[in-house]
Amino acid sequence: MKLPSFRLRIALLSAALAGSTLVGFGAVSWFQIYNAKINRFDAELLNQLMRATPNLPPPGEPPVPTASLRREVLSKGSRPSRWQFYEDSLSYAFGTNTKTPIAILVLDTNGNILYQSNSLPADLEVNRLLLNRLQLTPLPPPPNRQPPPLPSNTNPSFEPPPFLRPRPPQFVTEQTPITAWRIGAANFPNVRVAIAVSLQVVNQEMATIRNIFLVSIPGALLLVAVGAWLVSGGALRPIRELTGVIQQVTVKGLDQRIPIGTTDVEFALLIQVFNQMLERLERSFTQASRFSGDAAHELKTPLTILQGELERTLQQVDPGSEVQQRLSNLLDEVRRLSGIMRKLLLLSLADAGKMSLYLVEVDMSELLMEMLEDVEMLAPHLSVQTDFTDGLRLLGDRDLLIQVLQNLFSNAIKYNLPNGWIQIRTHQTPTTLHVTIANASKDIPLSDLERIFDRFYRGDPARTRKIEGIGLGLSLAREIARAHHGDLTLDQTSFGQTAFTLTLPMKLQN
Amino acid sequence: MLVNILFVEDEAKIANFVRAGLKEQGFVVDYCDNGDQGYLRALDNEYDVIVLDIMVPGKDGLSILKLLRRQGRNAPVILLTARNELDDRLEGLNLGADDYIAKPFFVEELAARIHAVVRRSVSERQNLLCVGPLKLDRITREVTCNHQAIELTSREFNLLEYLMRSPGRVFTRTQILEHVWGYDFNPNTNVVDVCIQRIRKKIDPIDQAVWIESIRGVGYRFRKPDPC
Repeated sequence: MKLPSFRLRIALLSAALAGSTLVGFGAVSWFQIYNAKINRFDAELLNQLMRATPNLPPPGEPPVPTASLRREVLSKGSRPSRWQFYEDSLSYAFGTNTKTPIAILVLDTNGNILYQSNSLPADLEVNRLLLNRLQLTPLPPPPNRQPPPLPSNTNPSFEPPPFLRPRPPQFVTEQTPITAWRIGAANFPNVRVAIAVSLQVVNQEMATIRNIFLVSIPGALLLVAVGAWLVSGGALRPIRELTGVIQQVTVKGLDQRIPIGTTDVEFALLIQVFNQMLERLERSFTQASRFSGDAAHELKTPLTILQGELERTLQQVDPGSEVQQRLSNLLDEVRRLSGIMRKLLLLSLADAGKMSLYLVEVDMSELLMEMLEDVEMLAPHLSVQTDFTDGLRLLGDRDLLIQVLQNLFSNAIKYNLPNGWIQIRTHQTPTTLHVTIANASKDIPLSDLERIFDRFYRGDPARTRKIEGIGLGLSLAREIARAHHGDLTLDQTSFGQTAFTLTLPMKLQN
Repeated sequence: MLVNILFVEDEAKIANFVRAGLKEQGFVVDYCDNGDQGYLRALDNEYDVIVLDIMVPGKDGLSILKLLRRQGRNAPVILLTARNELDDRLEGLNLGADDYIAKPFFVEELAARIHAVVRRSVSERQNLLCVGPLKLDRITREVTCNHQAIELTSREFNLLEYLMRSPGRVFTRTQILEHVWGYDFNPNTNVVDVCIQRIRKKIDPIDQAVWIESIRGVGYRFRKPDPC
């Protein structure tokens, strides 16, 4: 299972937070900009509509004479040309870009068309929208429109009459298949005017702004995510250091402490607590270790006295007498007891990582030959196959290695089949020596394979009574092998046999 | 030859049977129960072997060993270890101890070790062991019976040598097992009996007398030859 990464989560969360903020901010500002643009547009539209009153602009005074050549749709005296000029002037008012389509519709009070942009008959949709708009624009417009009074009026008490605009025209945005239009209409006493200006330009500008947002927001998000990743990495550094130290804390390294040093205050407490925990652990571990040492000492003294007195008394009674037999049995039990105690002590030393080795040059071939001699004596019915050369020498603790081999060989005899076999193979590489001791056996149940090195564990409980010995041997043998920087493994693939392989380094650094 | 031994051990009950056992084996034992006194005695006298318990009041066994070696005293030292067996053994051997023996131990085994270190330190010809018709050379590991060579395996040789060293003394199977095979050998095997049978088969055709006697329910002993 893949565990979620705290660091990744922090980075993603920051990115999500920054992302939603940026998107919200972008959306709001986009609408603000859009509204501002539309308002400006509307103001201009209003302005232009005001100009459409019969007073403004004065007829016969075309704002841009050159535009008069452009189009003459309706030939109804001077009016059409006036509206023509008006339309042209609109083009200039709105047309930073002359391609901005503009449409106007001018009706008289009876609803007859006075002027129509030449594109309109073709564009029925816009035409309909303009008519709609005109019909929605309330009638009647203010009857009399006074020009603004001159400021040169001398009477200070005279309140100038308010400049009455036509009822403020409503501007709407309407969508046609081609483009969006901003449409405004005004009713004047003698004429009704509706103007539609394409929002193409505004929309294009808004699209540009949107595109800028679309590009810059992911970029900003990436920046935020990377930044959060780096920052959280920095924040997690004390945790990583902690992990590193904890990894080094084995039973051998309980004296490790994490330096508080320049750590932030939040982590200092954690480190402090952890160090305290280590200290308690170390203290209780040394106590336990010393306890087992002391206990062994306390146990060994009475055992030594028992054994010594039994040995001496045994020599003082009649040879072969019943008393001597009993004493002999007692002595055996004392030896068994001290054997168990010795193994337990060795295991506790191994657990504490204090199994110290007295290294001498060990002739493995010679040891194996001795073991084979024992096999021959103990189990003459077994067929023995050997495959090893003379002079397999390595540095090791002779006594402990003998113990390992004796354990493996006695297991190979104990758990063999009637008329079975034992096979000893060695395999030497420049750095390691592998000694494999295999014997015919029943298949070890899968459930036992993993527990075979457990302490006080002995395969089939039914066999426990028949075959003596305690289940410390294999566990201890493996600890000894590991103390030599080697290992003891059970070959799990073979059927009908049990094969243990002892691996030892050829050159052992003490 | 008399072997003088200094034995330093604080536990009186252990000291009692060890002294008794060693005296029975013909050793002269000088005993003291604390390290300081033991060290002074070791400086004042020339002992053939010093047997030191590591945990004694005053100077502990390892300190005594260290000081003696620093003084240039090279008398063989055998350490008795109880506490942290492996560490003590390692340190002791590195400090120049000649052997170590872990508690609990057999006095017989201690005697065997003492003999071994004495033989090693004194270049005296004590390699030959003769009992009855049997002659055993510890160095060449040759055994003859009535001047006829007998081929023995290493286990058989060690067992025979162990029994022959104390003729008439009864050895239990466990004792033999521990001496010849090591203390961790499965104590319930009949390997001792099998090995004895093999030795007998090799000796009996040459000399009709039964030299290795079975003690029923106990073990074996080498028959003491009649004084002649």
